[in-house]
Amino acid sequence: MSDIGNIFVLVKQVPDQSAKAGINPDGTIDRSKAKRMINPFDRFALQAALETKKKYGGRITVISMGPPAAEEILLESLEHGVDQCKLLSDRRLAASDTLATSYAIWKTVEYLKPFDLIFCGLQTTDGDTAQVGPSLAERLDIPQVTYCEDFRIENKKVIARRVIEGGYQWVSSSLPCLITVANSYHHLEYKNIRGAKLVQELLRNKDKKDELIKTINLDQVNADPILCGLKGSPTIVAKTDKVAEIGGSCFLQQGESVDSMVQEVVSKTNILEFTR
Amino acid sequence: MQVSNTNSEKIQYDVLLVGGSPSNLALAHRLVDLAKANGKLFNMAILEKSKEFGGHVVSGAVSHPHVIERLFPNYKNDGLPVEGVCTKSNLSLLGNKEKWDIPNFLVPPGMKKEGYLVLTLSKVVYWMANKLKEKIKESTNIKIDFFNGFAAHDILFETNKVVGVRVEESESINPLDQNVYANVTCFGDKGFISRDLIDKFKLRDNPQIWSVGVKEVWKMTEGKDCCGQVWHTLGFPLLDGTFGGGFVYGMKDHLLTVGLVISLDSKNPNINPQQKLQDYKKHPWIQEMIKGGKLMHYGAAVLPEGGFYSLPKKFAVDGAILLGDALGVLDINSLAGIDKSMECGIQAADIIFERLETKNFSEKNLTTYKDRVLKSHVGKSLYKGRYFRFAFQENPRLLSNYIPEVLNGIDEGIPLTGFVNIGVNSPIKSIKDALRMGKLLSGSFDYGPIKYKPDYQHIVPEFQEKNKVKTNGHLKNTIYSREDAVFYAHTKYHEGNEHIDEFNAETCVSCIKKYDALGKDTPCVSDCTAEVHRVDLLEGLRKHAMSLENCVQCRTCEIVCPEVNLRVKPTAQGSGPDFMGL
Repeated sequence: MSDIGNIFVLVKQVPDQSAKAGINPDGTIDRSKAKRMINPFDRFALQAALETKKKYGGRITVISMGPPAAEEILLESLEHGVDQCKLLSDRRLAASDTLATSYAIWKTVEYLKPFDLIFCGLQTTDGDTAQVGPSLAERLDIPQVTYCEDFRIENKKVIARRVIEGGYQWVSSSLPCLITVANSYHHLEYKNIRGAKLVQELLRNKDKKDELIKTINLDQVNADPILCGLKGSPTIVAKTDKVAEIGGSCFLQQGESVDSMVQEVVSKTNILEFTR
Repeated sequence: MQVSNTNSEKIQYDVLLVGGSPSNLALAHRLVDLAKANGKLFNMAILEKSKEFGGHVVSGAVSHPHVIERLFPNYKNDGLPVEGVCTKSNLSLLGNKEKWDIPNFLVPPGMKKEGYLVLTLSKVVYWMANKLKEKIKESTNIKIDFFNGFAAHDILFETNKVVGVRVEESESINPLDQNVYANVTCFGDKGFISRDLIDKFKLRDNPQIWSVGVKEVWKMTEGKDCCGQVWHTLGFPLLDGTFGGGFVYGMKDHLLTVGLVISLDSKNPNINPQQKLQDYKKHPWIQEMIKGGKLMHYGAAVLPEGGFYSLPKKFAVDGAILLGDALGVLDINSLAGIDKSMECGIQAADIIFERLETKNFSEKNLTTYKDRVLKSHVGKSLYKGRYFRFAFQENPRLLSNYIPEVLNGIDEGIPLTGFVNIGVNSPIKSIKDALRMGKLLSGSFDYGPIKYKPDYQHIVPEFQEKNKVKTNGHLKNTIYSREDAVFYAHTKYHEGNEHIDEFNAETCVSCIKKYDALGKDTPCVSDCTAEVHRVDLLEGLRKHAMSLENCVQCRTCEIVCPEVNLRVKPTAQGSGPDFMGL
């Protein structure tokens, strides 16, 4: 018998940082135009779940909240070897802040339980609040380990190393527990051929895809729509500004060799002397 | 740590294609067409080491559409990405300053490219893969898994039968989670993995000989347009007796391809193909075209040029078939490779289809593949051009004496003076040379089988360039250092990538010592197309080191290494250059 039962991982689709994200006139991010990807912080959470499964057994369920297009990142998760995915997708969730999000996800986790471990990324790259994981743990009334960069499971307990200012600390926690994984954890392993094969099959077989990536709505998880979306979000985004592009005297130096380019740079600027 | 699903089920297919190459994708299309017509069941997997189909493909490319037409009769309306149709084809001689277009009646028929398609092969491959996905969308009898981002790292044998490939770099995890098995495995790669098969069964008596092609795509300034114009050039900047030539193709949207193909059987240990391409671009004729333009892409790849006498003894073994560049079917006479490769795919698909039901892909059942390929236009053109490279190897005077002489005439404005000078200076020799050359090139003279030396054995460390390239004024911002060029190959590697093996560090140290004494770079350092190889001073010794993150995976270093001390392996995790658009 394995030590661990269900492992949940929270994953979010975010705009690709390398592509220029559009900002709507009202200040929110235009998600339809931007290229999308798995939130980079969540990749560490995924890896933590995959390693846990390998060492202690268990079954990994990836949970995401987002528009139907978020299916892309769930397919990607399956390529890496998770067992199944749940996508909470509902128009009434639009414009949720962290309070509303943690409420909706809490309801989802309650609907999907039991579980032994929940892994979250530290934060997202689009909101950067790092609040959803901890508030979910509070709502579930379970212990949480934040900034975790290493852990093991012994006698139904998690023994985890947390990054703190100037060092780290070892803590232990009973199960079930929620862990937010620091970005000093292991990088997500490359997808594997079995996962890739499964996804190829899902692209052909819609029924099987719907079974492994189940889309659920607020009614199914018994969530109160008043507490979700814009209505359930006390946060007000007053204004979003684009960071001004850094100007100044930047120039691109092209040349036939490093030496000639350095010479050129030296002659163009105020550098008085240069030695190699 | 490797994380994987534990699953005891074997990953098994009827057909496994190694490499998303034009040959393999032609095979796939043909097989799907045949199976669709009669409802035969089969499943297939395609491995492609690049993140996306076409990402590691770079070619000229001017191609006759006859094979494309057979595979896609409707290609004109089906969205095949075509950059232009050749309306004017030129074979030109380049001097240091001038260009002379050889009059049409003197151009060999194979070099007349009017009506041919100007292609961006990476885009064509991407299109072929997507077209294949479309084709099988509603199909119930055909299943194809597309594994882009997965390379074949090792061939799996059961005694003398190929049973599949390993798709993980290391063997640490459960073999069932890293092996892909198939009844028949088709190798359409450039030799990264098929050479293991060729070596195991000793299929090649005569080594393959190679050229390296370096290519840039430029966006010309608005108003400049030469779409449909094609130039193949001889002469400048290859004046040291090295076999090779340049090409300039006009494409739509003001795009221009500028490239150079250089044979690796050169005596010169320091060719530096990327810098030679920069020299080529310094020619006033090309300067005029790229002036004010913008470099879009850079890339490099090797071309198998041994032709007929480098073909493997067998084209298939138990459970495996070789196609395209793995065989080496490029026709050097007419510089045609794409249609030849695709033809291999068609012929292989026909055989596979016939054997699909019995699932018996023994060598005996596949032998007719070779006959069929050799009977097609592939075999015919290879046979006709069987002495093409040999003719230049046999008679170095042509490249090192006659061509420079002719080019001098061109620079003086009277192309014929060069020819006359050759005749006057050495009347008997030159006439004899010309006659023999003509016969060898056209294949009308039967010299019998020939023997090649591996490319690296041609290197003469002490070699001195006689005819130095003279350039006269060029715009600095049209010329790129090798470091800068890498940026335009868009390379991206995963952490911990180690795809080039150096077998023995001491061998490299002594090789470096030897070339240091001559005041030269080692061939790996100088001929690298992407600033990978370098020499570091470590513990008082000058040692070979590599910046693997720059590699564009052309394999030139492996081919020119005088000590046979390097091996370029396929990269894992979809790493490498991004040639989309080249």
